Amino acid sequence: MSNTLRPYLTAVRSTLTAAMCVENFSSQVVERHNKPEIEAGTSKEVIMNPLMISRNENEQVLIETSVNSVRISIKIKQADDLETILCHKFSRFMMMRADNFVILRRKPVDGYDISFLITNTHTEQMYKHKLVDFIVHFMEAVDREISEMKLSVNKRARTVAESYLGQFM
Amino acid sequence: MILLDYHNVILHDTLSARFESEKPEALDMTIVDFDGVLYHLSTPTSKTNIQISFKWRCFPELINYGANDILQREYGTMLVTPPQQGFDVTLNVDLTSLPQEAEAREELIRKVSLLKRNIMAAPFERAFKEQEQFEDEKQANPNPELMAVHYREDEAIYVKANQDRVTVIFSTRFKDETDRVFGKVFLQEFVDARKRQDLQNAPPVLFSTREPPLELRHLNLQDSEEMSYITFVLFPRHFAALDVREETISRIQIFRDYLHYHIKCAKAYMHTRMRARVRDFLKVLNRAKPENINVEKKTATGRTFRRT
Repeated sequence: MSNTLRPYLTAVRSTLTAAMCVENFSSQVVERHNKPEIEAGTSKEVIMNPLMISRNENEQVLIETSVNSVRISIKIKQADDLETILCHKFSRFMMMRADNFVILRRKPVDGYDISFLITNTHTEQMYKHKLVDFIVHFMEAVDREISEMKLSVNKRARTVAESYLGQFM
Repeated sequence: MILLDYHNVILHDTLSARFESEKPEALDMTIVDFDGVLYHLSTPTSKTNIQISFKWRCFPELINYGANDILQREYGTMLVTPPQQGFDVTLNVDLTSLPQEAEAREELIRKVSLLKRNIMAAPFERAFKEQEQFEDEKQANPNPELMAVHYREDEAIYVKANQDRVTVIFSTRFKDETDRVFGKVFLQEFVDARKRQDLQNAPPVLFSTREPPLELRHLNLQDSEEMSYITFVLFPRHFAALDVREETISRIQIFRDYLHYHIKCAKAYMHTRMRARVRDFLKVLNRAKPENINVEKKTATGRTFRRT
């Protein structure tokens, strides 16, 4: 793990642990409604200050907390065209399976590549520390996956080119 | 399977099966090949007479570059004139007068299944001949024209002979943003691959996106982000010897299909990779769910129990 990655992930981990402190909270505006307040945004007083942790301008995490839900948006590193495409494909691939990933949001927040929404139901049904583990693991793995995919495309391209031109010997 | 075959596999297999079988049967089959080529196999007159019809949108252009001579040379008496209604070329194979030896039969099948390749060879052969005239001091220098073959919608091959070389330019179109990016990576590798010591003899490859190369400037091609141009420069060593020449023609022709095939392969591979990765993520997420404690468990001997 590189020097800047570790403190970055540690910061995300401790912020998330603190932010996961959510409880059941019914809507103050509409009777018998119980919605994630961070998404509904109907009452200002239950939404806390959002927090952004950034490693550099291309890699950021935005953590928005409210009384009964936490929204985590991640910006994944994209160095060139190929990485942008790969990242886009990968996040779309995951979001199409959002039903299986209970905490995944179907659409990312504007300006980010992928978003998670954790509500009080999730934290009641699942271990909080494991949820945090998952997010951190995701952030680590997605970078590695994208750079590995990029390498494999490059490697394939080289083999293809060499075996084609190699025929002209 | 990294390299693609030059011949049409379905055509090859169908003919082999027909040649082997004892009892001739009626046949009516339509086969498609790369670049919108259409074959039609039929037995219109008798069951022992197989007709193979061929259709390609750029056929009139290829006739101008001498495709008829090649057809005469390669297929001779097999050619049927006029061709079947709606097709460009028709070949006739008579099952009763096949050669006896297995090798000769295989040769015949191979020849027929290379129909597309042979027709497409016309501009290449002409360019190689023109280049040879440049080399030969006794003959007057020819005035080679730029031969364009619009073999697909929006895509074309340009062949031109020069003083000391023959240039082949492909224009190809990547419809999809992803394909475009992948295509760029692949084509860049084609350009870079020649830097390797053992590939010094390969023809140099140049590529440009959007802007057509200098040779094509006068054609006023439509400018588009989606177009890429790939130039192969063939030197006499690639076509001086006759067997090398045949191979070079086949190889250059298959280039576009080869490139696109591998781009598709790369995408398919990424898809399986993403699947595996997503499964892995799900596993990690499911670890967060507490185990259901009220479920019946089994011991090694098969007894069930409930943890209280």
